[in-house]
Amino acid sequence: MAEAAAVVAESLAGYRARAARAVLEQVVLPGEELLLPEQEDGEGPGGAGERPLRLNAGARSRRRVVCGPGLRRCGDRLLVTKCGRLRHKEPGSGNDGGVYWVDSQQKRYVPVKGDHVIGIVTAKSGDIFKVDVGGSEPASLSYLAFEGATKRNRPNVQVGDLIYGQFVVANKDMEPEMVCIDSCGRANGMGVIGQDGLLFKVTLGLIRRLLASDCEILQEVGKLYPLEIVFGMNGRIWVKAKTIQQTLILANILEACEHMTADQRKQIFSRLAES
Amino acid sequence: MKETPLSNCERRFLLRAIEEKKRLDGRQTYDYRNIKISFGTDYGCCIVELGKTRVLGQVSCELVSPKLNRATEGILFFNLELSQMAAPAFEPGRQSDLLVKLNRLLERCLRNSKCIDTESLCVVAGEKVWQIRVDLHLLNHDGNIIDAASIAAIVALCHFRRPDVSVQGDEVTLYTLEERDPVPLSIHHMPICVSFAFFQQGTYLLVDPNEREERVMDGLLVIAMNKHREICTIQSSCGIMLLKDQVLRCSKIAGVKVAEITELIQKALENDQKVRKEGGKFGFAESIANQRITAFRMEKAPIDTSDVEEKAEEIISEAEPPSEVVSKPVLWTPGTAQIGEGIENSWGDLEDSEKEDEDEGGSDEAIILDSIKMDTGEVSNIGSQDAPIVLSDSEEEEMIILEPDKNRKKIRTQTISATQVKAPSKKPVKKRKKKRAAN
Amino acid sequence: MEGATQTETKIRAESGIESGPRGPGCSLRHFACEQNLLSRPDGSASFLQGDTSVLAGVYGPAEVKVSKEIFNKATLEVTLRPKIGLPGVAEKSRERLIRNTCEAVVLGALHPRTSITVVLQVVSDAGSLLACCLNAACMALVDAGVPMRALFCGVTCALDSDGNLLLDPTAKQEKEARAVLTFALDSVERKLLMSTTKGLYSDAELQQCLAAAQAASQHVFRFYRESLQRRYSKS
Repeated sequence: MAEAAAVVAESLAGYRARAARAVLEQVVLPGEELLLPEQEDGEGPGGAGERPLRLNAGARSRRRVVCGPGLRRCGDRLLVTKCGRLRHKEPGSGNDGGVYWVDSQQKRYVPVKGDHVIGIVTAKSGDIFKVDVGGSEPASLSYLAFEGATKRNRPNVQVGDLIYGQFVVANKDMEPEMVCIDSCGRANGMGVIGQDGLLFKVTLGLIRRLLASDCEILQEVGKLYPLEIVFGMNGRIWVKAKTIQQTLILANILEACEHMTADQRKQIFSRLAES
Repeated sequence: MKETPLSNCERRFLLRAIEEKKRLDGRQTYDYRNIKISFGTDYGCCIVELGKTRVLGQVSCELVSPKLNRATEGILFFNLELSQMAAPAFEPGRQSDLLVKLNRLLERCLRNSKCIDTESLCVVAGEKVWQIRVDLHLLNHDGNIIDAASIAAIVALCHFRRPDVSVQGDEVTLYTLEERDPVPLSIHHMPICVSFAFFQQGTYLLVDPNEREERVMDGLLVIAMNKHREICTIQSSCGIMLLKDQVLRCSKIAGVKVAEITELIQKALENDQKVRKEGGKFGFAESIANQRITAFRMEKAPIDTSDVEEKAEEIISEAEPPSEVVSKPVLWTPGTAQIGEGIENSWGDLEDSEKEDEDEGGSDEAIILDSIKMDTGEVSNIGSQDAPIVLSDSEEEEMIILEPDKNRKKIRTQTISATQVKAPSKKPVKKRKKKRAAN
Repeated sequence: MEGATQTETKIRAESGIESGPRGPGCSLRHFACEQNLLSRPDGSASFLQGDTSVLAGVYGPAEVKVSKEIFNKATLEVTLRPKIGLPGVAEKSRERLIRNTCEAVVLGALHPRTSITVVLQVVSDAGSLLACCLNAACMALVDAGVPMRALFCGVTCALDSDGNLLLDPTAKQEKEARAVLTFALDSVERKLLMSTTKGLYSDAELQQCLAAAQAASQHVFRFYRESLQRRYSKS
């Protein structure tokens, strides 16, 4: 009987919106509704009715909240569309609600403007290259979008080469477009990736974790061997160390980081450092 | 869907690694990936995992009449399917070259090697024999499909039990599983394929290539062998020239590998048999690794359904009684009648052109109807020309019928106002709707 | 303790294929699910209900054939593959039911001109197959990270000749039943997304089955939640 009661309580919880703050860093499922901090106090039982009575109801500043991947706005409701952990980034200024998003472990990439990705050139047609980035359609890359490229001086890009570039056009309705220069016309690290080294795929969640500023994995990896490494937001990693053996070890460690806790990782790294 | 292209840098790296006798997953040159065999609850059902490559095998049987030229032999049939699940490039329902090649190789390996005693499958000579069908489904493709498929096929055949039959005079009796224990097939030997990938025109060799290694290989040699070191079939593809010594060396390696795999298969079969005999738990549910965080299980959950009847009564009492469906058949012409108005076709997609035609037809008629209505004013006949309107306005209509009492009025007024603003010519149509609602 | 297990084994041996006896009341068989078990698809899940087992793989949002392209939403395709032989009419009809259910919850408008492909493989059929297919499809879609309005689950009910209601029936129970009803329910409002029925039943029985399915769906969704929480426990 007690169990049945628990089920009922839970079903209600599934129904009703939960406060975004209360479920931060927790797993959210598609269809759940979240309440932003300013909605919390208003919408309790019978909350909607009480609201107009507040003296400073109008004066309360509406804070701007950015709704990131895995969330969508429906009227004034915030709904979850993907499964993962809910994350929040604190706002920079006062009048800002920060960013909420869902951190999922998906494998398929969807191009986003501004993302740096690793692509594979699949075709040369006229003055553009077609680049496979793992999305639903190949991205286009103009041959002029390289540092120092002019109509006469074409970059040396072959089919099958790896490109590290950035999206300048990426939305659901248009063909994505990449460039290998920043707004000042500088390469800034982008361009064709060398012929050596190994490319492999991990989940998008792992890439984001590796690229986070406080990621200890990268620092640990750096202590092992001298290496060159490129992370693409599309889940591709290119790595090159002095020898084939070292490159292989690095690639296998990074792949394995997916399903390890911090402690397990520490053990692995200390074991490797010894050998 | 297209396969992700292989970049030049991967190709170079793989070849250089092979030169240094290194493999991506840390294996040695002659190492197989881990092989895991699990059985389903049915007889003759197994899943074989070779690293990340996965094949599902199922054996089934049927009584059929034999082939004319082999009146006393049962029939063996193999069918490997490359599901789109295994790799995006595999399209459903297409016989690709790869698929044909793999199926032929499997038949050569398992049927032509006479590993199954087909004569024991005969029930009545010339009249009734067993047809044994082996279905293999590739679930995930990470290279070396043929080895995984051949293991799955022979494991499924060894695991399979066919129903017992008895013949008395002309009468053939088939016993169910409960009546008599089913009988296993008689298997003479177990042929297993071993693949060798060659690189740099045969300079380097790898056993059990994975998908990326297969993409850069120059040639492939498949040797099917049993544990008595009898070669059952041998095939070299991709047009590579091999020396006699190379083939001999490969056959030696194959002998060792086949012995190892056969032992593994026998152990797995024995384990499963033991568990079944002891009445323990078996089936795929038991083979899910519980320690994996991607896996989860829940024990049998009782569900309290005591309030179900009350709930149902409540709903029924609240709901309006179902509208009296007009089921008067209308006789159009002798032999063609209509009951009700029909709904949208839910069978497959209509051909595009057909659909367009239909749409056009529908709107045309609607316009005609409107103009007629304008002329004749209040005539609201429910006749043959009704159907297209129902189609085009179906959404609104549904809303009106399905909404519960309170909201209904609101919506109805909304639709009315909307239609009024929109087009006065639609008046008759709206009227009909109201009638509907009143029903 | 010892004796209890022995009797259980005996019963199991008698019932043959089905593992374990089931109570007279309504209960779901044991559930198990493994996600992300295939390396090639973008999302995959294996779902087991008792001895029924279905494997699902999802690709998407991926490239779409020009002939199937839809300009304002994703093209959703579902393929169901039987274990023995080639797909026939029964599979086509189930594909259609599953596709329509998925279509109702997948936010296809977020990825126009792409394809979302769900491939289902029957691994073993021991009753409530369609419900198991629906559950496997949902978990695979979640694993692939396809944006969805809500989760969904499938529940099968059977009415036996005495009018007793059975949830999650086995193949034997389905065979003996007077009517078999399968519902797909969503996780937000627990409302009906799809229903398909076979056999004779009354108005009241339909509502009873639906209410029972709603009660059962709570357990299924709780199972979903717990397995997903476990999956994300290490990140």
